[in-house]
Parts: sequence; structure tokens; C-alpha cells
Amino acid sequence: MNFSNDAAAARLISRREAIQRAALLLGVTISPSILAGVLQAQPAGGKGAKPTFLSTAQFDAVGAMAERIIPRTDTPGAIDVGVPAFIDLMYGRYLAADEQRMFAAGLAEIDAKCRATTKGGFSQMEPAMQDSVLKGVADASKDKEKSFFHQLRELTLLGYFTSEPVGKNVTHYDPIPGPFQACIPLASVGNVAWTR
Amino acid sequence: MALPGTVKQQNTYDAIVIGSGISGGWAAKELSEKGLKTLVLERGRDVKHGDYPTAMMESWEFEGRTKISNDRLATQEKQNRTGYTTHPASAHWFVNDVENPYSEEKRFDWMRGYHVGGRSLLWGRQSYRLSDLDFEANAKEGIATDWPIRYRDLAPWYDYAERFAGISGQKENLPQLPDGQFLPPMEMNCLEKALRKRIADRFSGRVMTIGRAANLTQPHNGRGSCQSRNRCIRGCPYGAYFSSNAATLPAAYATGNLTLRPFSIVNQLIYDKDSGRATGVRVIDAETNEVIEFYARVIFCCASAVASTFILLNSVSERFPHGLGNDSGELGHNLMDHHFKVGATGMSDEFGDRYYRGNRPNGIYIPRFRNVSKESMRKDYVRGFGYQGSASRVDWTRGIKELNYFGSRLKADLIAPGPWRFGIGAWGECLPYHENRLSLNKSLRDKWGQPTVTFNCDWKANELAMRKDMKAAAVEMLEASGLKEVTPFDDVSAPGLCIHEMGTARMGRDPKTSVLNQWNQVHAVPNVFVTDGACMTSSACVNPSLTYMALTARACDHAVSEMKKKNL
Repeated sequence: MNFSNDAAAARLISRREAIQRAALLLGVTISPSILAGVLQAQPAGGKGAKPTFLSTAQFDAVGAMAERIIPRTDTPGAIDVGVPAFIDLMYGRYLAADEQRMFAAGLAEIDAKCRATTKGGFSQMEPAMQDSVLKGVADASKDKEKSFFHQLRELTLLGYFTSEPVGKNVTHYDPIPGPFQACIPLASVGNVAWTR
Repeated sequence: MALPGTVKQQNTYDAIVIGSGISGGWAAKELSEKGLKTLVLERGRDVKHGDYPTAMMESWEFEGRTKISNDRLATQEKQNRTGYTTHPASAHWFVNDVENPYSEEKRFDWMRGYHVGGRSLLWGRQSYRLSDLDFEANAKEGIATDWPIRYRDLAPWYDYAERFAGISGQKENLPQLPDGQFLPPMEMNCLEKALRKRIADRFSGRVMTIGRAANLTQPHNGRGSCQSRNRCIRGCPYGAYFSSNAATLPAAYATGNLTLRPFSIVNQLIYDKDSGRATGVRVIDAETNEVIEFYARVIFCCASAVASTFILLNSVSERFPHGLGNDSGELGHNLMDHHFKVGATGMSDEFGDRYYRGNRPNGIYIPRFRNVSKESMRKDYVRGFGYQGSASRVDWTRGIKELNYFGSRLKADLIAPGPWRFGIGAWGECLPYHENRLSLNKSLRDKWGQPTVTFNCDWKANELAMRKDMKAAAVEMLEASGLKEVTPFDDVSAPGLCIHEMGTARMGRDPKTSVLNQWNQVHAVPNVFVTDGACMTSSACVNPSLTYMALTARACDHAVSEMKKKNL
């Protein structure tokens, strides 16, 4: 089957490529971070959003952690697609009481440690320091069935991969695939997964 | 209740069908097409084909994406037990547990939706025929009671049901899983094709086929073909899978003979001792609480195994003090479901450069291979199981449990499709046990003042012994097929979770040991038919809905023929 003949092939030229092509035509280069800025739709709950259920300090820490798990690269990062607001909502209306307690306690413990060295806590640390803190948390959580870090990871990945900017522009958006094509070359879709 | 003649006339039909799910939709179609003025009573709201609010929604359009909120959970605590029914895309199809309570002497997961179409909108669409291996098993093994029919009695009705419903599948010429009238099969992906061959090569008599599914692989009877969205449970705007809403009810409406009354809870059947017949039904209007009676010459109970049994148990008269048609004492007993959630998964490092396009709403099927021949007889249990499964490339959720790394590398990895994984889970036969039962609970009442249902049902030695083999055979097959990291699972759940309730008004030859005869008629009240899961004398190991379709069409044919002969 020839994928390029398909109408959906048009969708496979991502917005990223389209912008890069336009930039080439204009004779300018665009750095990945600027590109990500261009790409981000700034949905509600991205930068500048206010939490409903978490405190501002919790919200900033959660956002900074989510961004280290899924950072902005040549594609949007967690903050770009509103993951902090999503986690705020999950915390307030979706986690069970015991899960809520685990989340709040885990967050408080990490932020308290960070405040010992950095006044503003986790969110004000340098990215390299943040990574090292998170690595420590990850290692300490490895043998646990459930932990704050498990929750954070799940909510970050869920919030990211089920968001509209990612579903439409990062993974392959194909809401009405038509007849099932059972075996196609991965290269024909550029090694990118379908939006689920 | 004495009614003025005109009202009684207005409320009189040739046939009443209770329920609008898979069985009720078929009864509505068959009876109205044969010229009977037919009243369908549905306890829930109306849903017209296409009236599927979440069908075209994307994950980001749901507030909680894929999660169920605490508010929703508070009203659907039991419906949430499957882990998938209360997904925000489908939760509106499942009942409010607070308004519709039931009791559990032993845990029973009763998943249901009260709306036109019932679970025909929500079903898994796997469509398999029973065979004589199933119909003869009770008699051969001396278990429960004999089915009053054999495969030859039902085969033409399977043909008939499949031709209308549209079942895609592949013929395999297996005696234990008869072929049907299939639309072209769905295709297996690269890894599945390879595994089909390896399983055939390495295990004599074992077949891996594509699932036989009520999903259309080509336009059929005015319905569209499958678009590979795999969002069936939301309702399909293309009508690409079989449901009452898309298929049988439109056919019934087209005759001009159908009246469908939503919000009509059938509380009981009205029995007339002089004629020895049921003359009608007593209904509670779910919105106004008004009690109304409707009358007909024949009544089809198609409300689901549990609900039809409830109605019969609640229909008490001098003649039937323990429920209508319950001379045998078997009404409410022999409750069955399939036991499942046991099998194995394995990874493959082949086909790394291959992918697929679309979400096929169907998997593979490995039909029963135990206790089907002399060579395959087991000493540790009777009956058998089939496996359902699929191969796919793992999606981004693989990153949740993988704590080793995060950051740009994790992100890049998860944007790409993951490695191939193959998984199979077994669906096993459950024997009919008299002591597995449901009963009326008069001390707990529902929103309309009706008694409720109490379950007392569990798996026994035969099912538990079978599960060990279900797991071991899965591991053996996956390892022999070259898969890596083969991991067994056995998440034994309570009965009910498979949503295949069966057996509580079983068919049989002898009125002393069964509720229904070979035509699904209540032995002692022949103008009452029960054609949903309640009628099943044994459970077989295959998904049962296709059998309800065939039995319903067959029973309707018999009913009309008996009416013409003035026997009904």
C-alpha cells in the first residue's frame, strides 16, 4: 500500500516541518526553543495559568517537575500544552482521598528539601539541579508499587499525550482511518505513533 | 385493575417485547416483519441511531481525558469495576448505582445500561456459534440438564442472524467452532500473521484465526463499513457494528408495526389462571411513576438474563407463588458468566520497521482446543476455553511504569511507537450450578419501590482448575512461538465482570428441571417466551450474543406459526 497516495499524507507533514520549510524560504534559521514557542497554542493552563485546587507554590513546583519529565525540545513541553492545569484538576476532582494525600505529601517533602538550598524551592532551581533532585526521587521510588513520583509521571504523560496540541501536531492525528491497513512500513509514517 | 374497554383496547397489541437490547431488537424486528402489532417496552431513555454524544470526541475534549471523576465515581461505584465502562466516553451508557442498587451475598459485578439499544450498543461484538460439543455436553457428562436442542436446530437461524447482522470472519472448518455466513475477514497485522503460522506448525490442531466480529468490512444492509476508529462503545455513527439502534429497530420501524415506549419499567407479567396464559404486563412509568397495563397475545422477555428473571420472579400469583413459570424451582438458579482475565503477554523484537494504520476493533481468536477429541481430554477439568488477543506496538503508556529515565529522551522515545507486544486472555466455560443464583430482595427497594436483586454466585473447582491450564497453555504457546519476556497473568475476578450473565431461566426437556422448552416458551405458560441469556442451559466458552440472536429469531418464527394455528 502506498501511503503517500493517501489523503492523510497531507497530515503527515507536521506543522513543525511546515514552519521549518517556511523559515528556509525566508532565509532564517529557527532554534528549537523558538520553534516550540511558535508551535505552542498557549492553551488555558499553560504559562501564566492559575491553579484551582493546588496552592500557587505547589502548582509552580508541579509544573517545573512536569516540564523536566517532558521538556520543551523541537516539540512542545509539558507546560506548553497545559499539563500543570491538568494535574491541578486531577488533584482536585479525580484523585481519591488517599491518592491526594500521597501526592501532597510527596510534593511537600521534595519542595522542603529544595528550599534548604534554594529559597523559591524546586521551581526556582536550575534545570540541571532539578534533574538531579528528580533522579533521586525516581531512584527512591523504584521498588514501590505506588508513590508520588509514579503519580506525577502518570499524570504528566497522560496530560501531555492526550492534549490537543500533542494529539494534533506531535503524534499522528488520524481520527477516521478508514479501512484497517494491517502492515505498513514504519518509515512511511516517519517513526511517529498514531494519536490514540 | 378494571379498565374501561377503550383504554384496554388502546393498550392491546399482538406482541409485547420487554427490552430493546440484542434480543429485544431481534424480537421487535421479527415479530413486526411478520405482521404483528408489536410494543417494545424499554425501561430507559430513547436513543435513536446516531444519537451518540461522545462518538466524535477526542481525548482532549473530555474534562478528565480518560479518567473518571470522584463525582461520577460516587454514582457508578459498581459500574466502575470493569475499569473501562466508566471511561468518560462511555459512562453515560451505564446505570447510576445509587438509583439502581443490588445486593451481593457474594460479589457479583452487574454491568448494565438502561436505554434503547441496551448493551447492543456496548457489547464486544465477538460473534461465535455454539456447536454440538456444547449442546451435548450436559447430557454426556451428567451435568445439570440436557439442552432441548442440537446444533442442527439452530444452524439455519445462525445463518439467518449472521446474514442480517453482518459478521466478518474467516472460515476454518473446525467442528467445535462452526463456520458462518461471513463478510470478508479483518486482516491480521504482521506479527499476528507470523504467530498464526508458528502456532499451527508447533501445536497440532490449534488454530489462530481473526476474531469473528459484528463489525462490517464492507457496506451491508444500508450500514457503512468500519472506519477503524475502535470507538464502538460510544455508538457508531456509521452503523458499522451491529446494534439494535443501527440495525434491528430501524427494520422494525420500517414495517409500521412497531411501537416503542421508553421509560417503561416492566414490574410484572399479568397471569390469567382461567386461560393459563399471561395476558399482559404491568409497567411503571420511570418518569411519572404511573402504573399502566399493556396486553398482548404473546410476550417476549428480552430484558437480559437478570432482568427477565427478576420480572418472572416478581410475577407472583396463586398458581405461581414463587414466580411465573417456576414449577421447577430453577428460576433464578444456575447463574453463569464466563471466567476470564487469565493468560499471558510476550514481546517481539521482529517487525521493528513495520506498523499499521487504524485501530482495528477486533482481535485474534484461538478456538477451544481442550476436551475436543480423545487426544485433548483433560483429567483435571471438563469443558474448555478460547483465547482472545492481539498484537500491537505499545503506546506511550509504556512510559508510566518506566521510572529509569525522563526528559527529552523519554519524550522522543514515547512519540515513536513502542516495541511489538502480543497478549492473549482466555474466556472459559462456567458450569451451571443450582446454588449459583439470584433472588428477590424485598427489604431493599429501588427508586420506584420495586424489590431488588441479590446475587450469590461464585466460581468452583472446575473453573479454578481450568484457570491453571488457561495460564500455563498461554505461556507455553507464546514461548514456543518465539516471543520474549513471556509474562503470565491471572486477575481472577468475581462473576459478572465478563458481562455474559446466563442461565437463570434455562431451557430443558423436562418441566420439572427447567423453565423453558425447546422453543424458549415458559413450559407452563406457553405465550411467554424468554430469549435472552436467561435461557442458556450451559454457557459454552464463546461469546453468547450471536446465539441470543439466533434463538430469538427462531422463537419468533415459532410463536407466529403457533398463533396462525390458533395454539397461541
